[in-house]
Amino acid sequence: MSTVLEVRNLALGYPGLTLFRGLSMDVERGTTLAVLGANGSGKSTFIKMLLGLMDPLAGKLTWPDGQPSEIGYLAQMTEFDRRFPIRVRDLAAMGAWKGFGLRGRLDSGTNAKVASALDAAGVLDIADRSLHTLSSGQLQRALFARVIMQDAPLILLDEPFTAVDQSTEAHLLSIINQWRDEGRAVILVVHDLSSVLDHCDQALLLGNGEARFGPVGEVLTPQRLVSQNYMSESQASWMFRGAAAEAVRV
Amino acid sequence: MFETFSEMWGFAFMRRAFVTTTVLSASVAPVGAFLVLRRLSLAGEAMAHAITPGVVIGFVVAGLSVFSLLIGGLIAGVGAAILTAFLARKTILRSDASLASIYLIALALGIFILSAAGSAVPLKSFLFGSILGIDDASMILVGGVATVTLLSFAVLLRPLITSTCDPVFFEAQTRRPMLIEQAFMLLLVLNLLAAFKTLGTLMAVGLMILPATSARYWSSTITGQLGLSFLFALASCWVGLTLSYLFPETPSGPAIVLTAGGFFLISVLLGPLGFGERLRKPSPKTSSSLTQPSTRERPQ
Repeated sequence: MSTVLEVRNLALGYPGLTLFRGLSMDVERGTTLAVLGANGSGKSTFIKMLLGLMDPLAGKLTWPDGQPSEIGYLAQMTEFDRRFPIRVRDLAAMGAWKGFGLRGRLDSGTNAKVASALDAAGVLDIADRSLHTLSSGQLQRALFARVIMQDAPLILLDEPFTAVDQSTEAHLLSIINQWRDEGRAVILVVHDLSSVLDHCDQALLLGNGEARFGPVGEVLTPQRLVSQNYMSESQASWMFRGAAAEAVRV
Repeated sequence: MFETFSEMWGFAFMRRAFVTTTVLSASVAPVGAFLVLRRLSLAGEAMAHAITPGVVIGFVVAGLSVFSLLIGGLIAGVGAAILTAFLARKTILRSDASLASIYLIALALGIFILSAAGSAVPLKSFLFGSILGIDDASMILVGGVATVTLLSFAVLLRPLITSTCDPVFFEAQTRRPMLIEQAFMLLLVLNLLAAFKTLGTLMAVGLMILPATSARYWSSTITGQLGLSFLFALASCWVGLTLSYLFPETPSGPAIVLTAGGFFLISVLLGPLGFGERLRKPSPKTSSSLTQPSTRERPQ
Protein backbone atom coordinates (compact mmCIF):
# COMPACT_ATOMS: atom_id res chain seq x y z
CA MET A 1 0.00 0.00 0.00
CA SER A 2 1.23 3.47 -0.80
CA THR A 3 0.32 6.67 0.94
CA VAL A 4 -2.01 9.08 -0.83
CA LEU A 5 -1.96 11.77 1.80
CA GLU A 6 0.12 12.61 4.88
CA VAL A 7 -1.38 14.86 7.54
CA ARG A 8 0.88 16.32 10.20
CA ASN A 9 -0.07 18.28 13.34
CA LEU A 10 -3.29 19.49 11.81
CA ALA A 11 -5.47 22.01 13.64
CA LEU A 12 -8.83 22.85 12.14
CA GLY A 13 -11.45 25.43 12.93
CA TYR A 14 -12.47 29.00 12.39
CA PRO A 15 -11.14 32.29 13.74
CA GLY A 16 -11.82 32.15 17.47
CA LEU A 17 -12.92 28.50 17.40
CA THR A 18 -10.56 25.53 17.21
CA LEU A 19 -12.44 22.31 16.45
CA PHE A 20 -9.47 20.01 17.03
CA ARG A 21 -5.69 20.09 16.94
CA GLY A 22 -2.68 17.79 16.75
CA LEU A 23 -3.97 15.34 14.12
CA SER A 24 -1.27 13.32 12.32
CA MET A 25 -2.19 10.45 10.04
CA ASP A 26 -1.42 8.72 6.75
CA VAL A 27 -4.18 7.90 4.28
CA GLU A 28 -3.23 4.73 2.41
CA ARG A 29 -4.44 3.49 -0.94
CA GLY A 30 -6.81 0.54 -0.73
CA THR A 31 -8.21 1.52 2.66
CA THR A 32 -11.45 2.96 3.96
CA LEU A 33 -11.32 5.57 6.70
CA ALA A 34 -14.45 6.42 8.69
CA VAL A 35 -14.73 9.91 10.17
CA LEU A 36 -17.01 10.04 13.20
CA GLY A 37 -17.92 12.65 15.75
CA ALA A 38 -20.73 14.55 17.36
CA ASN A 39 -22.47 17.35 15.48
CA GLY A 40 -20.16 20.33 15.17
CA SER A 41 -17.00 18.33 15.87
CA GLY A 42 -15.53 19.20 12.46
CA LYS A 43 -16.28 16.20 10.22
CA SER A 44 -17.57 18.12 7.21
CA THR A 45 -15.02 20.87 7.83
CA PHE A 46 -12.29 18.22 7.67
CA ILE A 47 -13.64 17.01 4.31
CA LYS A 48 -13.82 20.54 2.94
CA MET A 49 -10.26 21.18 4.08
CA LEU A 50 -9.10 18.08 2.18
CA LEU A 51 -10.86 19.42 -0.91
CA GLY A 52 -8.97 22.70 -0.57
CA LEU A 53 -12.13 24.69 0.14
CA MET A 54 -10.69 26.01 3.40
CA ASP A 55 -7.27 26.34 5.02
CA PRO A 56 -6.24 24.60 8.25
CA LEU A 57 -5.42 26.71 11.28
CA ALA A 58 -2.09 24.89 11.58
CA GLY A 59 -0.33 21.79 10.28
CA LYS A 60 0.67 20.43 6.94
CA LEU A 61 -0.80 18.23 4.20
CA THR A 62 1.61 16.35 1.94
CA TRP A 63 0.68 14.41 -1.20
CA PRO A 64 3.60 11.94 -1.71
CA ASP A 65 2.58 11.14 -5.31
CA GLY A 66 1.55 14.71 -6.07
CA GLN A 67 -1.83 16.25 -5.41
CA PRO A 68 -4.40 14.29 -7.44
CA SER A 69 -6.01 16.23 -10.27
CA GLU A 70 -9.32 14.71 -9.28
CA ILE A 71 -10.74 13.99 -5.83
CA GLY A 72 -14.01 12.09 -5.83
CA TYR A 73 -16.54 13.96 -3.73
CA LEU A 74 -20.06 13.38 -2.50
CA ALA A 75 -21.44 16.30 -0.49
CA GLN A 76 -24.32 16.11 1.94
CA MET A 77 -27.61 15.93 0.08
CA THR A 78 -28.84 19.10 1.77
CA GLU A 79 -26.37 21.08 -0.35
CA PHE A 80 -27.83 19.82 -3.62
CA ASP A 81 -30.58 21.45 -5.72
CA ARG A 82 -32.97 18.58 -6.33
CA ARG A 83 -35.22 20.65 -8.59
CA PHE A 84 -32.52 21.44 -11.10
CA PRO A 85 -33.76 20.42 -14.58
CA ILE A 86 -31.33 17.70 -15.65
CA ARG A 87 -31.58 13.95 -16.10
CA VAL A 88 -29.88 11.25 -14.08
CA ARG A 89 -27.40 10.51 -16.91
CA ASP A 90 -26.44 14.22 -17.11
CA LEU A 91 -25.74 14.26 -13.38
CA ALA A 92 -23.47 11.24 -13.70
CA ALA A 93 -21.68 12.77 -16.71
CA MET A 94 -20.83 15.78 -14.55
CA GLY A 95 -18.25 13.56 -12.89
CA ALA A 96 -16.21 13.51 -16.11
CA TRP A 97 -16.49 17.28 -16.45
CA LYS A 98 -12.74 17.85 -16.18
CA GLY A 99 -12.14 15.31 -18.92
CA PHE A 100 -14.21 17.00 -21.59
CA GLY A 101 -13.67 20.57 -20.40
CA LEU A 102 -15.74 23.61 -21.25
CA ARG A 103 -16.76 22.79 -24.81
CA GLY A 104 -15.85 19.16 -25.49
CA ARG A 105 -18.70 16.90 -26.52
CA LEU A 106 -19.51 13.64 -24.79
CA ASP A 107 -18.14 11.05 -27.17
CA SER A 108 -19.35 7.46 -27.43
CA GLY A 109 -16.60 6.31 -25.05
CA THR A 110 -17.72 8.73 -22.33
CA ASN A 111 -21.36 7.82 -22.90
CA ALA A 112 -20.46 4.14 -22.48
CA LYS A 113 -18.64 4.98 -19.21
CA VAL A 114 -21.68 6.92 -18.00
CA ALA A 115 -23.92 3.93 -18.77
CA SER A 116 -21.51 1.62 -16.98
CA ALA A 117 -21.39 3.90 -13.91
CA LEU A 118 -25.19 4.17 -13.82
CA ASP A 119 -25.43 0.39 -14.08
CA ALA A 120 -22.94 -0.10 -11.23
CA ALA A 121 -24.94 2.32 -9.08
CA GLY A 122 -28.21 0.58 -9.97
CA VAL A 123 -29.87 3.51 -11.74
CA LEU A 124 -29.40 2.69 -15.43
CA ASP A 125 -33.10 1.99 -15.82
CA ILE A 126 -33.97 5.53 -14.69
CA ALA A 127 -31.16 7.25 -16.60
CA ASP A 128 -33.54 9.54 -18.49
CA ARG A 129 -35.63 10.58 -15.50
CA SER A 130 -35.47 14.10 -14.13
CA LEU A 131 -33.85 14.55 -10.75
CA HIS A 132 -36.97 15.97 -9.12
CA THR A 133 -38.81 12.68 -9.67
CA LEU A 134 -36.23 10.62 -7.75
CA SER A 135 -36.49 9.28 -4.24
CA SER A 136 -33.64 10.04 -1.80
CA GLY A 137 -32.13 6.60 -2.36
CA GLN A 138 -32.26 6.90 -6.14
CA LEU A 139 -30.66 10.34 -6.02
CA GLN A 140 -27.88 9.08 -3.77
CA ARG A 141 -27.22 6.21 -6.19
CA ALA A 142 -27.07 8.71 -9.07
CA LEU A 143 -24.58 10.80 -7.09
CA PHE A 144 -22.50 7.67 -6.50
CA ALA A 145 -22.52 7.14 -10.28
CA ARG A 146 -21.04 10.62 -10.61
CA VAL A 147 -18.28 9.72 -8.15
CA ILE A 148 -17.58 6.57 -10.19
CA MET A 149 -17.23 8.79 -13.26
CA GLN A 150 -14.66 10.93 -11.44
CA ASP A 151 -12.34 7.89 -11.38
CA ALA A 152 -10.28 9.43 -8.55
CA PRO A 153 -7.56 7.89 -6.36
CA LEU A 154 -9.02 9.59 -3.27
CA ILE A 155 -12.77 9.61 -2.63
CA LEU A 156 -14.50 11.72 0.03
CA LEU A 157 -18.07 10.90 1.02
CA ASP A 158 -19.93 13.20 3.42
CA GLU A 159 -22.74 11.27 5.13
CA PRO A 160 -23.46 8.97 2.15
CA PHE A 161 -26.08 6.86 3.96
CA THR A 162 -28.35 9.63 5.21
CA ALA A 163 -32.01 9.13 4.23
CA VAL A 164 -31.42 5.90 2.30
CA ASP A 165 -33.02 2.53 3.03
CA GLN A 166 -31.15 -0.59 4.12
CA SER A 167 -30.91 -2.19 0.68
CA THR A 168 -29.58 1.03 -0.86
CA GLU A 169 -27.04 1.35 1.97
CA ALA A 170 -25.90 -2.21 1.36
CA HIS A 171 -25.51 -1.50 -2.37
CA LEU A 172 -23.57 1.71 -1.73
CA LEU A 173 -21.33 -0.11 0.75
CA SER A 174 -20.57 -2.73 -1.92
CA ILE A 175 -19.49 0.08 -4.27
CA ILE A 176 -17.24 1.50 -1.53
CA ASN A 177 -15.71 -1.95 -0.98
CA GLN A 178 -15.06 -2.20 -4.71
CA TRP A 179 -13.29 1.18 -4.69
CA ARG A 180 -11.09 -0.07 -1.86
CA ASP A 181 -10.33 -3.28 -3.77
CA GLU A 182 -9.34 -1.18 -6.79
CA GLY A 183 -6.70 0.52 -4.64
CA ARG A 184 -8.48 3.81 -4.04
CA ALA A 185 -8.51 5.52 -0.65
CA VAL A 186 -12.03 6.23 0.63
CA ILE A 187 -12.78 8.66 3.46
CA LEU A 188 -16.40 8.70 4.59
CA VAL A 189 -18.22 10.68 7.22
CA VAL A 190 -20.74 8.41 8.92
CA HIS A 191 -22.96 8.33 11.98
CA ASP A 192 -23.89 4.66 12.09
CA LEU A 193 -21.27 2.64 13.95
CA SER A 194 -22.39 -0.69 12.50
CA SER A 195 -21.45 0.29 8.96
CA VAL A 196 -18.08 1.47 10.24
CA LEU A 197 -17.23 -1.63 12.25
CA ASP A 198 -18.02 -3.99 9.37
CA HIS A 199 -16.64 -2.10 6.40
CA CYS A 200 -13.93 0.38 7.42
CA ASP A 201 -10.25 -0.26 8.10
CA GLN A 202 -9.45 2.89 10.03
CA ALA A 203 -11.33 5.49 11.98
CA LEU A 204 -10.90 9.14 12.84
CA LEU A 205 -12.89 10.11 15.91
CA LEU A 206 -13.43 13.85 16.41
CA GLY A 207 -14.89 15.59 19.42
CA ASN A 208 -14.13 17.49 22.58
CA GLY A 209 -11.29 19.29 20.81
CA GLU A 210 -9.45 16.06 20.05
CA ALA A 211 -8.84 13.90 16.99
CA ARG A 212 -8.03 10.19 17.38
CA PHE A 213 -6.85 8.21 14.38
CA GLY A 214 -6.04 4.52 14.03
CA PRO A 215 -7.47 1.08 13.29
CA VAL A 216 -11.21 0.90 13.94
CA GLY A 217 -10.84 -1.50 16.88
CA GLU A 218 -8.33 0.75 18.66
CA VAL A 219 -10.08 4.08 18.12
CA LEU A 220 -13.73 3.21 18.61
CA THR A 221 -13.51 2.01 22.18
CA PRO A 222 -16.43 2.68 24.54
CA GLN A 223 -14.32 5.03 26.67
CA ARG A 224 -13.26 7.17 23.75
CA LEU A 225 -16.72 7.29 22.23
CA VAL A 226 -18.01 8.61 25.56
CA SER A 227 -15.11 10.94 26.37
CA GLN A 228 -15.27 12.54 22.92
CA ASN A 229 -19.02 13.14 23.30
CA TYR A 230 -19.98 10.75 20.52
CA MET A 231 -22.42 8.91 22.76
CA SER A 232 -23.56 8.82 26.36
CA GLU A 233 -22.41 6.20 28.88
CA SER A 234 -25.78 4.46 28.77
CA GLN A 235 -25.69 4.33 24.97
CA ALA A 236 -22.15 2.93 25.04
CA SER A 237 -23.19 0.37 27.68
CA TRP A 238 -26.01 -0.80 25.47
CA MET A 239 -23.93 -0.87 22.28
CA PHE A 240 -20.98 -2.64 23.91
CA ARG A 241 -23.16 -4.73 26.22
CA GLY A 242 -20.88 -7.73 25.73
CA ALA A 243 -17.93 -5.81 27.17
CA ALA A 244 -17.15 -5.38 30.84
CA ALA A 245 -19.01 -2.52 32.55
CA GLU A 246 -15.78 -0.83 33.65
CA ALA A 247 -14.64 -0.67 30.03
CA VAL A 248 -17.50 1.72 29.31
CA ARG A 249 -17.05 4.05 32.31
CA VAL A 250 -14.89 7.10 31.71
CA MET B 1 -56.43 42.48 -40.01
CA PHE B 2 -53.77 42.00 -42.67
CA GLU B 3 -53.97 45.68 -43.53
CA THR B 4 -53.49 46.60 -39.91
CA PHE B 5 -50.34 44.50 -39.64
CA SER B 6 -49.10 45.76 -42.97
CA GLU B 7 -49.63 49.31 -41.76
CA MET B 8 -47.81 48.52 -38.52
CA TRP B 9 -44.80 47.14 -40.42
CA GLY B 10 -44.83 50.26 -42.56
CA PHE B 11 -43.65 52.35 -39.64
CA ALA B 12 -39.87 52.34 -39.23
CA PHE B 13 -40.13 52.82 -35.44
CA MET B 14 -42.25 49.67 -35.18
CA ARG B 15 -39.81 47.64 -37.29
CA ARG B 16 -36.94 48.86 -35.12
CA ALA B 17 -38.88 47.94 -31.98
CA PHE B 18 -39.59 44.42 -33.27
CA VAL B 19 -35.97 43.85 -34.32
CA THR B 20 -34.57 45.23 -31.06
CA THR B 21 -36.86 43.21 -28.82
CA THR B 22 -36.17 40.06 -30.85
CA VAL B 23 -32.43 40.43 -30.30
CA LEU B 24 -33.05 41.45 -26.68
CA SER B 25 -35.14 38.31 -26.12
CA ALA B 26 -32.28 36.10 -27.34
CA SER B 27 -29.95 37.87 -24.93
CA VAL B 28 -32.02 38.08 -21.76
CA ALA B 29 -33.58 34.59 -22.03
CA PRO B 30 -30.53 32.56 -20.92
CA VAL B 31 -29.67 35.12 -18.23
CA GLY B 32 -33.24 34.95 -16.91
CA ALA B 33 -33.27 31.16 -17.02
CA PHE B 34 -30.17 30.95 -14.85
CA LEU B 35 -31.38 33.73 -12.54
CA VAL B 36 -34.39 31.52 -11.81
CA LEU B 37 -32.38 28.30 -11.55
CA ARG B 38 -29.80 29.93 -9.27
CA ARG B 39 -32.65 31.25 -7.08
CA LEU B 40 -31.60 34.82 -7.84
CA SER B 41 -34.88 36.05 -9.33
CA LEU B 42 -35.32 38.79 -6.76
CA ALA B 43 -31.61 39.60 -6.85
CA GLY B 44 -32.06 40.41 -10.54
CA GLU B 45 -34.86 42.83 -9.70
CA ALA B 46 -32.73 44.42 -7.00
CA MET B 47 -29.77 44.75 -9.34
CA ALA B 48 -31.98 46.51 -11.89
CA HIS B 49 -32.63 49.21 -9.30
CA ALA B 50 -29.04 49.24 -8.09
CA ILE B 51 -27.75 50.43 -11.47
CA THR B 52 -30.06 53.47 -11.41
CA PRO B 53 -27.67 55.99 -9.79
CA GLY B 54 -24.89 55.08 -12.25
CA VAL B 55 -27.20 55.60 -15.20
CA VAL B 56 -28.52 58.86 -13.77
CA ILE B 57 -25.06 60.24 -12.99
CA GLY B 58 -23.93 59.23 -16.49
CA PHE B 59 -26.93 61.08 -17.90
CA VAL B 60 -26.35 64.20 -15.80
CA VAL B 61 -22.65 64.29 -16.69
CA ALA B 62 -22.70 63.28 -20.35
CA GLY B 63 -26.32 63.42 -21.48
CA LEU B 64 -28.62 60.64 -22.59
CA SER B 65 -26.10 58.67 -24.65
CA VAL B 66 -25.60 54.93 -24.84
CA PHE B 67 -21.99 55.36 -23.76
CA SER B 68 -22.85 57.26 -20.57
CA LEU B 69 -25.59 54.76 -19.77
CA LEU B 70 -23.22 51.81 -20.30
CA ILE B 71 -20.30 53.19 -18.28
CA GLY B 72 -22.42 54.62 -15.46
CA GLY B 73 -24.58 51.51 -15.23
CA LEU B 74 -21.63 49.14 -15.33
CA ILE B 75 -19.83 50.98 -12.54
CA ALA B 76 -22.97 51.06 -10.38
CA GLY B 77 -23.90 47.44 -11.10
CA VAL B 78 -20.46 45.98 -10.54
CA GLY B 79 -20.00 48.23 -7.49
CA ALA B 80 -23.28 46.99 -6.00
CA ALA B 81 -22.35 43.36 -6.70
CA ILE B 82 -18.91 43.74 -5.09
CA LEU B 83 -20.31 45.59 -2.07
CA THR B 84 -23.03 42.96 -1.64
CA ALA B 85 -20.52 40.10 -1.77
CA PHE B 86 -18.23 41.96 0.66
CA LEU B 87 -20.99 42.55 3.22
CA ALA B 88 -22.26 38.97 2.90
CA ARG B 89 -18.80 37.52 3.49
CA LYS B 90 -17.49 39.87 6.14
CA THR B 91 -20.59 40.69 8.19
CA ILE B 92 -23.58 38.93 9.71
CA LEU B 93 -25.92 39.94 6.84
CA ARG B 94 -26.82 37.37 4.21
CA SER B 95 -26.43 38.32 0.55
CA ASP B 96 -30.16 38.93 0.00
CA ALA B 97 -30.34 41.40 2.89
CA SER B 98 -27.10 43.07 1.80
CA LEU B 99 -28.33 43.47 -1.77
CA ALA B 100 -31.73 44.74 -0.61
CA SER B 101 -30.07 47.39 1.57
CA ILE B 102 -27.77 48.53 -1.22
CA TYR B 103 -30.39 48.63 -3.96
CA LEU B 104 -32.80 50.63 -1.82
CA ILE B 105 -30.11 53.19 -1.12
CA ALA B 106 -29.05 53.19 -4.78
CA LEU B 107 -32.59 53.62 -6.09
CA ALA B 108 -33.32 56.52 -3.74
CA LEU B 109 -29.96 58.08 -4.62
CA GLY B 110 -30.69 57.77 -8.34
CA ILE B 111 -34.12 59.38 -8.07
CA PHE B 112 -32.71 62.09 -5.78
CA ILE B 113 -29.91 62.98 -8.23
CA LEU B 114 -32.31 62.96 -11.16
CA SER B 115 -34.69 65.32 -9.36
CA ALA B 116 -31.93 67.56 -7.99
CA ALA B 117 -30.37 67.93 -11.43
CA GLY B 118 -33.69 69.22 -12.77
CA SER B 119 -33.61 66.73 -15.59
CA ALA B 120 -35.39 67.42 -18.84
CA VAL B 121 -35.91 63.70 -19.27
CA PRO B 122 -39.12 62.67 -17.55
CA LEU B 123 -38.86 60.19 -14.72
CA LYS B 124 -41.35 58.00 -16.56
CA SER B 125 -38.82 57.38 -19.33
CA PHE B 126 -36.31 56.06 -16.78
CA LEU B 127 -38.85 53.87 -15.08
CA PHE B 128 -40.61 52.40 -18.14
CA GLY B 129 -38.20 52.90 -21.04
CA SER B 130 -39.06 54.01 -24.56
CA ILE B 131 -39.01 51.05 -26.90
CA LEU B 132 -40.88 52.90 -29.63
CA GLY B 133 -38.28 55.65 -29.66
CA ILE B 134 -35.23 53.43 -29.90
CA ASP B 135 -32.28 54.99 -31.74
CA ASP B 136 -29.36 53.49 -33.68
CA ALA B 137 -26.93 53.65 -30.76
CA SER B 138 -29.35 51.78 -28.49
CA MET B 139 -29.87 49.10 -31.13
CA ILE B 140 -26.13 48.67 -31.40
CA LEU B 141 -25.93 48.40 -27.60
CA VAL B 142 -28.58 45.67 -27.56
CA GLY B 143 -26.85 43.83 -30.44
CA GLY B 144 -23.44 44.09 -28.79
CA VAL B 145 -24.72 42.88 -25.43
CA ALA B 146 -26.58 40.00 -27.10
CA THR B 147 -23.40 38.95 -28.94
CA VAL B 148 -21.32 39.04 -25.75
CA THR B 149 -24.03 37.19 -23.81
CA LEU B 150 -24.54 34.37 -26.31
CA LEU B 151 -20.79 33.88 -26.82
CA SER B 152 -20.28 33.84 -23.04
CA PHE B 153 -23.01 31.26 -22.57
CA ALA B 154 -21.48 29.13 -25.32
CA VAL B 155 -18.30 28.96 -23.24
CA LEU B 156 -19.69 29.06 -19.71
CA LEU B 157 -22.79 26.89 -20.03
CA ARG B 158 -21.24 23.73 -18.61
CA PRO B 159 -19.67 25.33 -15.50
CA LEU B 160 -22.84 27.39 -15.04
CA ILE B 161 -24.93 24.22 -15.02
CA THR B 162 -22.59 22.46 -12.60
CA SER B 163 -22.24 25.43 -10.26
CA THR B 164 -26.00 25.98 -10.20
CA CYS B 165 -26.99 22.34 -9.68
CA ASP B 166 -24.34 21.44 -7.11
CA PRO B 167 -22.32 24.47 -5.94
CA VAL B 168 -20.26 22.55 -3.39
CA PHE B 169 -19.24 19.93 -5.95
CA PHE B 170 -18.36 22.73 -8.38
CA GLU B 171 -16.23 24.50 -5.77
CA ALA B 172 -14.33 21.27 -5.26
CA GLN B 173 -13.78 20.94 -8.99
CA THR B 174 -12.26 24.29 -9.79
CA ARG B 175 -9.70 26.57 -8.27
CA ARG B 176 -11.56 29.83 -8.81
CA PRO B 177 -15.28 29.08 -8.48
CA MET B 178 -16.11 32.74 -7.88
CA LEU B 179 -15.14 33.56 -11.48
CA ILE B 180 -18.32 31.97 -12.80
CA GLU B 181 -20.50 33.88 -10.36
CA GLN B 182 -18.76 37.15 -11.19
CA ALA B 183 -19.04 36.52 -14.93
CA PHE B 184 -22.73 35.78 -14.54
CA MET B 185 -23.34 38.94 -12.50
CA LEU B 186 -21.52 40.96 -15.17
CA LEU B 187 -23.76 39.45 -17.86
CA LEU B 188 -26.76 40.31 -15.71
CA VAL B 189 -25.71 43.96 -15.42
CA LEU B 190 -24.98 44.18 -19.16
CA ASN B 191 -28.40 42.76 -20.04
CA LEU B 192 -30.14 45.04 -17.58
CA LEU B 193 -28.46 47.98 -19.29
CA ALA B 194 -29.50 46.67 -22.70
CA ALA B 195 -33.08 46.30 -21.48
CA PHE B 196 -32.97 49.60 -19.57
CA LYS B 197 -33.41 51.83 -22.61
CA THR B 198 -36.21 49.74 -24.03
CA LEU B 199 -38.16 48.70 -20.95
CA GLY B 200 -36.90 50.95 -18.13
CA THR B 201 -35.69 50.06 -14.65
CA LEU B 202 -39.06 48.80 -13.46
CA MET B 203 -39.81 46.51 -16.41
CA ALA B 204 -36.31 45.35 -17.47
CA VAL B 205 -36.24 42.30 -15.23
CA GLY B 206 -39.77 41.33 -16.23
CA LEU B 207 -38.59 40.16 -19.65
CA MET B 208 -35.89 38.06 -17.96
CA ILE B 209 -37.81 36.42 -15.15
CA LEU B 210 -41.35 35.83 -16.40
CA PRO B 211 -40.41 33.88 -19.58
CA ALA B 212 -37.97 31.82 -17.49
CA THR B 213 -40.48 31.02 -14.77
CA SER B 214 -43.06 30.16 -17.45
CA ALA B 215 -40.59 27.81 -19.16
CA ARG B 216 -39.93 26.13 -15.82
CA TYR B 217 -43.49 24.74 -15.86
CA TRP B 218 -43.02 23.06 -19.24
CA SER B 219 -39.51 21.64 -19.40
CA SER B 220 -37.39 19.29 -17.31
CA THR B 221 -34.20 19.87 -19.27
CA ILE B 222 -31.78 22.77 -19.52
CA THR B 223 -32.10 22.84 -23.30
CA GLY B 224 -35.87 23.06 -23.05
CA GLN B 225 -35.61 25.68 -20.33
CA LEU B 226 -33.36 27.92 -22.44
CA GLY B 227 -35.30 27.41 -25.67
CA LEU B 228 -38.71 28.01 -24.13
CA SER B 229 -37.48 31.04 -22.18
CA PHE B 230 -36.46 32.59 -25.50
CA LEU B 231 -39.74 31.70 -27.21
CA PHE B 232 -41.82 33.09 -24.35
CA ALA B 233 -39.73 36.29 -24.26
CA LEU B 234 -40.00 36.68 -28.04
CA ALA B 235 -43.75 36.04 -28.07
CA SER B 236 -44.21 38.49 -25.18
CA CYS B 237 -42.38 41.22 -27.09
CA TRP B 238 -44.19 40.67 -30.36
CA VAL B 239 -47.66 40.37 -28.83
CA GLY B 240 -47.00 43.25 -26.43
CA LEU B 241 -45.78 45.56 -29.19
CA THR B 242 -48.73 44.65 -31.39
CA LEU B 243 -51.17 45.38 -28.56
CA SER B 244 -49.38 48.65 -27.94
CA TYR B 245 -49.84 49.55 -31.60
CA LEU B 246 -53.48 48.46 -31.79
CA PHE B 247 -54.34 50.33 -28.59
CA PRO B 248 -52.30 53.53 -28.73
CA GLU B 249 -52.95 54.40 -25.09
CA THR B 250 -51.20 51.20 -24.01
CA PRO B 251 -47.56 51.79 -22.94
CA SER B 252 -45.35 49.30 -24.78
CA GLY B 253 -43.07 48.24 -21.89
CA PRO B 254 -45.84 47.27 -19.48
CA ALA B 255 -47.76 45.67 -22.40
CA ILE B 256 -44.76 43.39 -23.08
CA VAL B 257 -44.34 42.44 -19.43
CA LEU B 258 -48.10 41.95 -18.95
CA THR B 259 -48.12 39.63 -21.95
CA ALA B 260 -45.24 37.72 -20.36
CA GLY B 261 -47.39 37.61 -17.22
CA GLY B 262 -50.21 36.12 -19.27
CA PHE B 263 -47.91 33.37 -20.53
CA PHE B 264 -46.88 32.76 -16.92
CA LEU B 265 -50.49 32.28 -15.80
CA ILE B 266 -51.18 29.94 -18.72
CA SER B 267 -48.04 27.98 -17.84
CA VAL B 268 -49.00 27.70 -14.19
CA LEU B 269 -52.42 26.37 -15.15
CA LEU B 270 -51.56 24.16 -18.11
CA GLY B 271 -47.85 23.33 -17.85
CA PRO B 272 -47.05 19.69 -17.03
CA LEU B 273 -44.94 20.82 -14.08
CA GLY B 274 -47.63 23.22 -12.88
CA PHE B 275 -51.27 22.32 -12.33
CA GLY B 276 -51.54 20.93 -15.86
CA GLU B 277 -50.75 17.35 -14.97
CA ARG B 278 -53.20 17.39 -12.09
CA LEU B 279 -55.91 18.83 -14.31
CA ARG B 280 -55.36 16.18 -16.97
CA LYS B 281 -55.19 13.27 -14.54
CA PRO B 282 -58.37 12.30 -12.75
CA SER B 283 -58.22 12.44 -8.97
CA PRO B 284 -57.07 9.13 -7.44
CA LYS B 285 -60.13 9.15 -5.18
CA THR B 286 -62.52 9.10 -8.13
CA SER B 287 -60.43 7.05 -10.47
CA SER B 288 -60.39 3.36 -11.08
CA SER B 289 -56.60 3.61 -10.94
CA LEU B 290 -56.98 2.95 -7.20
CA THR B 291 -56.67 -0.67 -8.09
CA GLN B 292 -53.54 -0.01 -10.16
CA PRO B 293 -51.14 1.93 -8.02
CA SER B 294 -48.83 4.27 -9.89
CA THR B 295 -45.22 3.24 -10.17
CA ARG B 296 -44.11 6.84 -10.32
CA GLU B 297 -42.25 7.98 -7.23
CA ARG B 298 -43.28 10.99 -5.26
CA PRO B 299 -41.13 14.04 -6.06
CA GLN B 300 -38.99 15.17 -3.14
